[in-house]
Amino acid sequence: MFKLEAYNKLLISTSVAAVVAFSVVGCMGDSTEPSGSTTSVSLDIDGGVSYPVVNNKTSDYYVNPQAIGAKINNGRVPNAAELAKWDTDLQPATPLSPEGHGIPEGSGSVEDGETLYEAQCVMCHGDFGSGGGGYPALSKGNAVDLQKTLTNNRWKDPEADGPTRVFGSYWPQATTMWWYIRDGMPHPFSDSLSIDETYALTAYILNINEMYVDGEEVDDEYVLNRAKFLKIKMPNVDGFEPVISGANVLGGVKAYFGKASNFGGRNLNQGAEHCMKDCQEPTAKIKRIQNGGIKDFIPAMNVTRDLPKKEVVAIDVKKTYTESCAMCHSAFLSPGSGDWAGYTPKGIDKVYANGINGTESGMPAKGGADLSDADFKTMVDYLISGKVK
Amino acid sequence: MDNKKSQDQNTIDRRDFFKKAAAVSVTALAGTSLLANESAGEGDPAIMHHTKWGQKWGDPVTKNQYGIPSAYEHNVIRRSTKLLASGNFRASIAVTPIHESQGIITPNGLFFSRSHGGTAHVDPNEYRLMIHGLVEKPIVLTLAQLKRYPSVTRTHFIECPANGGQEWRGPQFNSVQFAKGFMASAEWTGVYIKTILEDLGLKPTAQWMLAEGSDNSKMGRTIPVDKVLDDAMIVWGQNGEALRPEQGYPVRLLVPGWEGNLCVKWLRRLEFSQEPWYCKEETSKYTDLKPTGKAIQHFYANEVNSTVTSPSPEIPWTDLKEGDVVEIEGLAWSGMGTIKAVDLSFDGGKNYVEANLKGLVLSKSWTRWSYMFTIPKKFQLDGKQILLTSRAIDDAGYIQPTIDQEIGIMGVEAVYHRNAVETWEVTEEGKVNHVQIRSV
Ligand code: HEC
Ligand code: HEC
Repeated sequence: MFKLEAYNKLLISTSVAAVVAFSVVGCMGDSTEPSGSTTSVSLDIDGGVSYPVVNNKTSDYYVNPQAIGAKINNGRVPNAAELAKWDTDLQPATPLSPEGHGIPEGSGSVEDGETLYEAQCVMCHGDFGSGGGGYPALSKGNAVDLQKTLTNNRWKDPEADGPTRVFGSYWPQATTMWWYIRDGMPHPFSDSLSIDETYALTAYILNINEMYVDGEEVDDEYVLNRAKFLKIKMPNVDGFEPVISGANVLGGVKAYFGKASNFGGRNLNQGAEHCMKDCQEPTAKIKRIQNGGIKDFIPAMNVTRDLPKKEVVAIDVKKTYTESCAMCHSAFLSPGSGDWAGYTPKGIDKVYANGINGTESGMPAKGGADLSDADFKTMVDYLISGKVK
Repeated sequence: MDNKKSQDQNTIDRRDFFKKAAAVSVTALAGTSLLANESAGEGDPAIMHHTKWGQKWGDPVTKNQYGIPSAYEHNVIRRSTKLLASGNFRASIAVTPIHESQGIITPNGLFFSRSHGGTAHVDPNEYRLMIHGLVEKPIVLTLAQLKRYPSVTRTHFIECPANGGQEWRGPQFNSVQFAKGFMASAEWTGVYIKTILEDLGLKPTAQWMLAEGSDNSKMGRTIPVDKVLDDAMIVWGQNGEALRPEQGYPVRLLVPGWEGNLCVKWLRRLEFSQEPWYCKEETSKYTDLKPTGKAIQHFYANEVNSTVTSPSPEIPWTDLKEGDVVEIEGLAWSGMGTIKAVDLSFDGGKNYVEANLKGLVLSKSWTRWSYMFTIPKKFQLDGKQILLTSRAIDDAGYIQPTIDQEIGIMGVEAVYHRNAVETWEVTEEGKVNHVQIRSV
């Protein structure tokens, strides 16, 4: 069925169409062809084929030619307040954009950051950002040292240490941290921190990653502000490819993805063979799943066709506590603790309701757990009494 | 049947015909497993008895005004695992049962679900989309205004680039749902972003577009304008109805063929800029670390890929025996173009034969393929266990690498974009196990 000749014909016909396409969209990059290409194929920036509209069709789809280039005047222009409200992203300072984008005036200390961290982050991210239990680590130690682990690769020796990818060792820009904390954290209650609080938390995270800013150690006394933030240089800032910052970079990006070997691809137009006989490396052998592999599927794998069982399963109170409440309720308002005296006087129904709906001061609705009202109440009873009924 | 015989058949009388038919069907049935289910002499109860549903009223048409699957299909569901349960299943994934998938469309309720802050439930009346930055005219649209643009409908898969990403160092999941089900496919309806930009006027210095969600993680990603001006869409329709909340209701981005993570859900904002962003999901995650210590930061298309879906660990051959003729079926897909060919190997990728493509073959879409096969004795060929390996080729010229070839360049720490060929081993009993064929 597969004939290289027919295949090449197809590529040539797409490339004829491509000339039309590039003039329509005014392609940003130069149309660098992959080296060693035997046919000229219309490649998109991703190294794949693009399907320009030819005879009112793009690949197999018809398009309404009247809709192409139609200028449709929908919507309205947002006002400045609306733009400011949603335009909360940050971009780093670069030679092309020395002030970056969206980096606000403000400041925060490592000390305040630590206090905030202990109150709002530690329950998930662990002491000093150590992570665990499915929550990402925010530090694993000295950023500069750990950056050197990025060349570690466990492919020959499974027991060897892998690379350590955390904020300090891996991330190219600090703007990512500031922006993500401000917009996305704390996870169950995002978009709730002030600008100064965000600077403080960022300062604390720089501190636990043992970082320096502009030659100055981010020690326990450090106070971060906008001017200092602009000077942060992450140890792994040059650790990424292709080059994406600067004017007219898209041609380079396209050239990068036009070369299969850059990303582990194999391309028949770039020297790869369409092998049908003896295609496997002689050293290759069967590798089986070790130790049963991962099989704690939720729910368990089952391909039978029967009626679902209707049994009502009583919730496992202790397990639900560990999985859904303990990360916040182990230190304060823990099962059977005296702290509950401050909450129960208002009446159990109000306590239930607050738990079910969540509170401003950090209790997510139902603790974020997927529980019925009845099951949640069982959990509250357990938290207050410390006993499983 | 030759001419003479068929003429004879036309002249036989009715009684003879039934006699003959009975004789033929007995021979045809002999040796099939059906006979085993038959209670001797009395016939199969499923045929002989009244069924529960055959003699009394069914449901009125007023029941289930939004239809739901048969109760018997309750095991055909998305599944998750503790390994991927981050954030109390709010920064997590539930994957598609592709062993049960038919054709090239995934029902909306089975479409894999991935979020970074939980599934948001957006009020469509309060929905707004803002487009600004390096455009002559920024705008804000309501949902109704968005849907007033001329629509286009396209069938594309969406694949999480971490599909297969747990298995760089060896197979881990004895399951096709988990090994390859971080993807699904649908017919999407929406508008090309380039259509909206005709009115807004993109400034010539614009190189990048930020797409940002309105969910509690404000998931954002950076996309080069080349792709925006090619085929990127803002979509509100999925398989003929509104998007499901898990797919970004009411509006998501669709970047055909590219990382699922770029197809930002609950979309609220597009901003154009000369410099790129460095969102959490394109720095901390979704970056491919190579053995050189450098990581690919913006990785776009999901490369050419394929899998055998039947047989699979979930759908083994244990009900078959020597001489049975069976269809080996699978999926092939490429985010870089259109599937041109799929090859199938019975010895783990040493030697290949050509499989056949089936049904619609569309760009950046799931493509079905199959191969007819006669079950050999003990499920063995030349005394060796069958090792089924599929390998796809797309019209950009990409062909799936062997595991050795891929890790030779990418190492084993890349996490994302693993598209080397995968293998199912068939045991002597017809069970199917996930294995890999590799040197290290
Ligand atoms: C993300 C952290 C977090 C999780 C997870 C969490 N809680 Fe809470 N919860 C809190 C905080 C903080 C408070 C104190 C709120 C306050 O003082 O208003 C609280 C308070 C409560 C209260 C008292 C509400 C009131 O105002 O009377 C109840 C009841 C409760 N939680 C039950 C639960 C149960 C049951 C679970 C698990 C199913 C759970 N919580 C999971 C953080 C959490
Ligand atoms: C209820 C648990 C929870 C709390 C509380 C929480 N986080 Fe998170 N955090 C998460 C989860 C889950 C993720 C991963 C999200 C994802 O995968 O998209 C995360 C991710 C992060 C990341 C990105 C880490 C990486 O390497 O990608 C940072 C930074 C972060 N959180 C900071 C904070 C800060 C600062 C606070 C306190 C203000 C906080 N978090 C509170 C659950 C939490």
